[in-house]
Amino acid sequence: MQVNVLYRPSQTVAQVWLQPNESIMAESGAMMGMSTNVDMQTQSGGLMKGLKRLFGGESFFRNTFMAQGGQGEVLLTTPLCGDMAVLDVGQRQWQISNSAFIASSTTVDVQTQGSGKGFFSGAGLFILGTQGQGQIVVGSFGAIEPVNVNGELIIDTGHLVCWDANLQYTVGKSSNAGWIASYLSGEGLVCHFQGQGQVYIQTRNAQEYGSTVGRMLPPVQK
Amino acid sequence: MPQHMVKYEPTFSMLEVNLAPGEVLIAEAGSMVARASNLEMDVKLNAGRNPGFFGKLKAMMIALLRKVVGGETFFVNHFHGGQGGWVWIAPALSGGVRHIPLQGQTMLFSTGAFLASAGEVDLKLRFGGLRALLAKEGAFFLEASGHGDLWVNSYGAIDEIYCNGTYVVDNGHIVGFDSSLDFKIKTPGGGAMGFFGSGEGLVCEFTGQGRILIQSRNLGALVEWLTRLMP
Repeated sequence: MQVNVLYRPSQTVAQVWLQPNESIMAESGAMMGMSTNVDMQTQSGGLMKGLKRLFGGESFFRNTFMAQGGQGEVLLTTPLCGDMAVLDVGQRQWQISNSAFIASSTTVDVQTQGSGKGFFSGAGLFILGTQGQGQIVVGSFGAIEPVNVNGELIIDTGHLVCWDANLQYTVGKSSNAGWIASYLSGEGLVCHFQGQGQVYIQTRNAQEYGSTVGRMLPPVQK
Repeated sequence: MPQHMVKYEPTFSMLEVNLAPGEVLIAEAGSMVARASNLEMDVKLNAGRNPGFFGKLKAMMIALLRKVVGGETFFVNHFHGGQGGWVWIAPALSGGVRHIPLQGQTMLFSTGAFLASAGEVDLKLRFGGLRALLAKEGAFFLEASGHGDLWVNSYGAIDEIYCNGTYVVDNGHIVGFDSSLDFKIKTPGGGAMGFFGSGEGLVCEFTGQGRILIQSRNLGALVEWLTRLMP
């Protein structure tokens, strides 16, 4: 599998080249185009897995694209303007913010992490974890920047794309002063990372964008 | 002046500021991307430097007014630390970030333009005139003065125009301008038809000499466009 990211950094498209009989799994709705010898299968990977994904703010189904009888091409995109990164999975495993996930090799198992931290963090932060070997494609809202953590670092949950599974993290309030101050600060929740590894951040926050534009729009009529 | 850098211009701009021990960065609520863990963040009322009781009361009034008028937030975050450290700040919309060093001069900005400040910067609200009340934008301007650093953000790219004589800018495209310029908010011409039919809303007519910062996109126009598509 060979992935090229085109039209960086704002209007990215992941151009995926598949060898005969090779396949890639992608988030539903991500496909923009594909060659005719690519076969698309829609799977939930089992009812429970599908429900878990649904609960995690993702779609119930995921699509698998397989090249048949020759090389195949699949083009993948995201709804918002932003960048993409192609990361190796194997020696390093990743934790991914659910909204950042685009695609993965079928040799990589991508699972919604058990509730706990991810669920209680609110702020729409649901986390996917990788296992196995291969590649993943993640997308951002805004530019992507890899940040090396060496010690400690604090990142707004809305700006997280993915991070090294080696890193320890806790989700907490953004201000040292208390919950009320954290609420007023408008920063929502932050992730305190500890250890050594990489975190990919995005320079825009979709919720922040949504609330800035959203509060100027008329209420939706039901 | 704290060390700073703007990355990912012009669409996804992000401001990186490296604070020395004792330096304070004041930033718009909700704008933090990440920070060093040795920096602390305090939430404060957007009340300027060392306000007295009346200063705070006034800030309350202004903050309320801003809330009604839109654009600016009630609270700001103060970042500081005994050993210093870095903090990254990003605006909500796609657009640029511009550094404005203030050395005693005064500049006016649209209310949504404030991103961050450091040093002895004073921010006040200035009334744009009765006519401006008709428009969604430009009823108030933010007046910045003092000595220090100011960072403003835009929707779209920021362009700088030097006004020598007169110049007209659509209200929704103004980021800021030098206070040496006189400004008058008016309809773009063509009388009532011009106001309601041209789609230009209100414009700001500048006279004198000074810089005008404009942005290549208009938030009001985006909102209008989206509103038409809403069910």
